[in-house]
Amino acid sequence: MTVSERALNPLSSMTWRRPQIVFTLLTGLTLIMMVLNVGIGSIPFSPLEIWQVLVRPEDNSTISSIIWNLRIPRAIAAVFGGAYLAAAGLLLQIYFRNPIVGPYILGISSGATLMVSFVMLTTLTVGWSLFTPFISTLAAFAGAYGVMLIVLAIASRVKGGVTLLIVGLMMGYLCGAVTAILTALAEKEKIKGFVLWQLGSFSGFKWNEIGILLVFGGGILVLLYLQSKPLNAFLLGEEYAASMGVNIRRFRLMILLCACALAGMITSMAGPVAFIGMAVPHMARLSFGTSDNRILIPGACLMGALVASICDLIARTVLSPVELPLSAMTAFFGAPIVITLLLKQRVKL
Amino acid sequence: MSTSAINPVISARRLTVGYKPKPVLKGLDFDFEAGHFISLLGPNGAGKTTLLRTLSRHLSPLAGEIRVQGKPLASLRAIDLARIMAVVLTDKIAPPLFTVFEFVAIGRYPHTDYLGRLGEVDRNAVISSLAAVHAVDLAHRPFADLSDGERQKVLVARALAQEPQILLLDEPTIHLDLKHRVEVMAILRDLCRSKGITVVASLHDVDVAAKVSDRVALIKDGGLLDWGPPETVLTPEAVAGLYDFDKAEFNRHLGGIELRGDGDQGRAFVVAGMGSGALVYRMLAKKGFAIATGVVHTNDLDWYVAQSLGADCTSVPPMAKVNGSAMVRAAGQMAECDFVIDCGFTVGPVNQANMKLLQSALTQGKTVFSLREGGLPSLTKSDHNRSIRCDDAMQLLDALDRFSARNELHPKALEA
Repeated sequence: MTVSERALNPLSSMTWRRPQIVFTLLTGLTLIMMVLNVGIGSIPFSPLEIWQVLVRPEDNSTISSIIWNLRIPRAIAAVFGGAYLAAAGLLLQIYFRNPIVGPYILGISSGATLMVSFVMLTTLTVGWSLFTPFISTLAAFAGAYGVMLIVLAIASRVKGGVTLLIVGLMMGYLCGAVTAILTALAEKEKIKGFVLWQLGSFSGFKWNEIGILLVFGGGILVLLYLQSKPLNAFLLGEEYAASMGVNIRRFRLMILLCACALAGMITSMAGPVAFIGMAVPHMARLSFGTSDNRILIPGACLMGALVASICDLIARTVLSPVELPLSAMTAFFGAPIVITLLLKQRVKL
Repeated sequence: MSTSAINPVISARRLTVGYKPKPVLKGLDFDFEAGHFISLLGPNGAGKTTLLRTLSRHLSPLAGEIRVQGKPLASLRAIDLARIMAVVLTDKIAPPLFTVFEFVAIGRYPHTDYLGRLGEVDRNAVISSLAAVHAVDLAHRPFADLSDGERQKVLVARALAQEPQILLLDEPTIHLDLKHRVEVMAILRDLCRSKGITVVASLHDVDVAAKVSDRVALIKDGGLLDWGPPETVLTPEAVAGLYDFDKAEFNRHLGGIELRGDGDQGRAFVVAGMGSGALVYRMLAKKGFAIATGVVHTNDLDWYVAQSLGADCTSVPPMAKVNGSAMVRAAGQMAECDFVIDCGFTVGPVNQANMKLLQSALTQGKTVFSLREGGLPSLTKSDHNRSIRCDDAMQLLDALDRFSARNELHPKALEA
């Protein structure tokens, strides 16, 4: 065996075995969680009942209606929401070369919240008919990109991860302040809906919203996967990436557009959801044992889908019939993980 | 300051580099010849890194033009430039969860498909890049666990995986221990010699640069002070000017930097020759003694070291017999000294007079420290007390310390 063979063989077998196992596990668990999410609730359904409803969609029974119009959209929304937030977090962590950033931390979610609050709390002046997922999605995008632009402008002047975090937190506070003022000025019946939305929830998703998520989000994910090579190069920093042939300006723009689109889309529909974008990429990195984005992009999406499904299930079942806020669940789940990672020095600020 | 090369791989004309709006280096004209090892020397902050960053297109030139292989640098596509030029930067990068193999494989970027999948050619290129830096055995180690020296070698391997014709390195040996410093420089020299890669490196060790470079560029005060082969460019004066040396001198013949002492601890006369004095001079300079020495030949190692240390050196031409006038001068120097050191030089037909010098030191009542095996032959009994035999440098040091303490050889301290 020559030197090069010795060096190559264990590697080719090692790198491809672990991701495949983890992918299979994650996919299986996510599917199980989806079935549980459809089955568990105030009216529980057995997998058999679910199957019967699934194969006979034209049935107009109450069971069919609950499963088709409430449970399944919600289960799918949790999967998409978790996946897209995780992908957005992964992108931002690579972009800022900072392991502790995520859409929520950087204020992207707060910006989206602010703009959505304009739409939701001031719609009386415009009329109910305008309150469609479409307009609040656009508003969320505008808010996400707006905050991102401000954070970027400041980040280009100051170096250092901690500064970036503080800038993000401050943006969050500012957006929160404006949102609070709008809430104070808004009419009472608007506030309840907005406050519920603000707590974050995958409930109430319509099929057309699922369609938007699938088409746009799916398109962005495919685009991202095709960018995993420059994303890998970018792990070495901008200068190395440029020296290897990455068109930095175009690449940077694309990554930010994608990250904000994914995070903005979910925030507009499910409300601001904390920690998934920050914690899940780390969980994916550690469980797949790699930083290779060809594995991590689908890997983080699957992991995010699983985590969001679990959090949503807990949120709506633990104190049923009261539904707990989703962001509370993800925070219970994500904050200890981030602290553990920091203490174990798996990630550095 | 321009040297036209037959086959310039990088050429600059009226180049001004810097960060807008402030230029760091102005009016640079140079041609880097293919396969040369080019060192950029200069004090910290002189602009070496700025120049490298401009050559690698991380910074745009403020004025002037750079051509790479005859084509304007600005017009090259990023991917085409990446196949010609690779860089090793000083940034501390620690991407998590990468094995060394995977890390080096990222360097295949300009050669792999749209997903960056490695083919057989790519794998072999990664292994041969690792082999070129003697790091094949590191292939499966996590990149984050490497020592500074290992990491630097792997960074060079990553650059080599691009299969570049030009390699730009910013301070490639900074923060490295001696073993890795020597190893990395040897690797870079081999890349240059055997693979014909043009290596452009900013270095802080002028002595190392002198030994490996085909061309050196001295960078200071906003421009190129001098540019050419180190053998002609690196004069003691040029190096002293470049780094603002005061108490040090670069010696081309010795290939190193000699550090002068303050010379305020008393004055020593060293009788040396045949290379016996070099270490003694350095030790005395380190201890702060002023040095006078003689009589040595001007082709003697001792002469070069004494010159660089600023000693009062009485010398005779090569092969010449130590004669009367040199003896008179040396004796005069010796009379003004506080003590005398006999370095234990081999006595031959041309330097017998130096033994006479030592004897006369004893007769004049000077204390003589002798490193000579068996000690200095003494003429009278009283001589014996003043001739102190030292078997090695350690004993000489101890004897000198005792002597200094007893005789209070601190003229400056006394005056104050």
